[in-house]
Amino acid sequence: MEFVSPEGLRLDGRRPMEMRQIRAEIGAVSKADGSAIFEMGNTKVIAAVYGPREVQNRSQQISSHALVRCEYSMANFSTGDRMRKPKGDRRSTEISLVIRQTMEACILTHLLPRSQIDIYVQVLQADGGTRSACINAATLALADAGIPMRDFVTSCSAGYLNSTPLLDLNYVEDSAGGPDVTLGILPKLDKVTLFQMDSKLPIDILENVMQLAIEGCKAIASYIREILLENTNQLEYRRGV
Amino acid sequence: MVGLSCGENHFIQGGIAQDLRCDGRKRLAYRPISVETGVIPQANGSARVRMGATDVIASVKCRLNFESQACCNLIKEKSRYILTAVQLQSQLLRSHSIGFRGRGGDELAAELSIALQRCLLGGKSGTAVVLMLVFFFSGAGINLSSLIVVERKICWDLYIDGLVVSSDGNLLDALGAAIKAALSNTGIPRVQVAAETSNNEQPEVDVSDEEFLQFDTAGIPVIVTLTKVGRHYIVDATSEEESQLSSAVSISANRQGNICGMTKRGGVGLDPSIILDMISAAKHVSDQVINKLDSEIASAEAEEES
Repeated sequence: MEFVSPEGLRLDGRRPMEMRQIRAEIGAVSKADGSAIFEMGNTKVIAAVYGPREVQNRSQQISSHALVRCEYSMANFSTGDRMRKPKGDRRSTEISLVIRQTMEACILTHLLPRSQIDIYVQVLQADGGTRSACINAATLALADAGIPMRDFVTSCSAGYLNSTPLLDLNYVEDSAGGPDVTLGILPKLDKVTLFQMDSKLPIDILENVMQLAIEGCKAIASYIREILLENTNQLEYRRGV
Repeated sequence: MVGLSCGENHFIQGGIAQDLRCDGRKRLAYRPISVETGVIPQANGSARVRMGATDVIASVKCRLNFESQACCNLIKEKSRYILTAVQLQSQLLRSHSIGFRGRGGDELAAELSIALQRCLLGGKSGTAVVLMLVFFFSGAGINLSSLIVVERKICWDLYIDGLVVSSDGNLLDALGAAIKAALSNTGIPRVQVAAETSNNEQPEVDVSDEEFLQFDTAGIPVIVTLTKVGRHYIVDATSEEESQLSSAVSISANRQGNICGMTKRGGVGLDPSIILDMISAAKHVSDQVINKLDSEIASAEAEEES
């Protein structure tokens, strides 16, 4: 099947190096300490952060830094066919773990000992790249909750189909069976915190694909920065500054 | 679920007794309702309803059901009525309160699903069946015959899902309103069936991507929950007020003034005359709510189109 046409257009009309349209909204869940909705094309996720608060399970309390917990679930209506088991299946557990480790790397946990930070991510619509969208949404939600972080974590996926590196795969391109690289970076510090890949890829091409994903992450980082600045301006305005 | 001190409890109860609640509302006043339709473009219909801090999303997805067995299910007099798999499931985005952790959340979700199913769909047959504390009547909100494609062969399965994003009391009403809005936003694709098919073969269907049939939602009821605190009842309780409840009755009524379903929660027994009183109060409130909700849905759809 042809994923990149001879003119250089993908199935949804994008260029190979073009990302889908991103949109973010802060403060979607009023009861949470911080929350955000993040959309990448048709993929839409909502993240809510509760914390820092008292550890629910005393035996898990860590005296030197904060405990970070994460739960990923997909809504019943998120995929094309209605899903039966939204959480507790293997994929959800794995993604929860991945998101938790990624966010733990950027939160300054030693500043909040003996406390707990809960991150709940729910996928409302899935069209490829849910992992990345969840990490981006979690970053925004943590920033909205005022939790101290080293840097943002932004994430983007990239692949290699029809001998072309492609940025930001959607569901059709993802299920094509080609390599799928998910990358998470700390943009200002220029460090990689998450790197996952399926299928196989020659090493020199991998470098190209990884570079492409890093570009994508940096673009998302500048967008997130804009959104947060806008949000802070709003807050200042409401306080009458 | 909410930790309140003695003084706060007294304050809430006293306020309700004097027709002045914590946020200034009267006993039978709803919080401002805001409706947004089409929030999930991939679903056939969806809506997001906000009542104060309570935020719920409902989505409707359709799928063709070719099993003639399922289509031929029941009912006596009206054999045209087909039981479709209209399933309701609620999921809860975990809140910070301990009551929703682990099992607690699943139990509440199951309770909400069953209550919604009773209120919106009604029971199978024409008789009223008493099952513990739940009464239900037949032929309620959704006109199932509009989901038939080919009699006794093909019908649409509707999957209605509710997701609670943020909970501040009165989840049942918010979910009912969201489902009503999502159903009025639903477009069922037009299906062309190939004419010549034998009885055993699966007929060829052509599901159109362009044309949609709007669902008829005039008869869909709205759920009104009356929470009894002390000697008075209030409508649209916040989670703090719900922690004071002695019992709560949820009544679903539609535009024609018919009662489509009823559920009672809470351990305290109620005098039958009080229940009748609550029913008439609920009917009175539901008229206003239906009007308000219909106008909100209409403006949300108009905004979506523009």
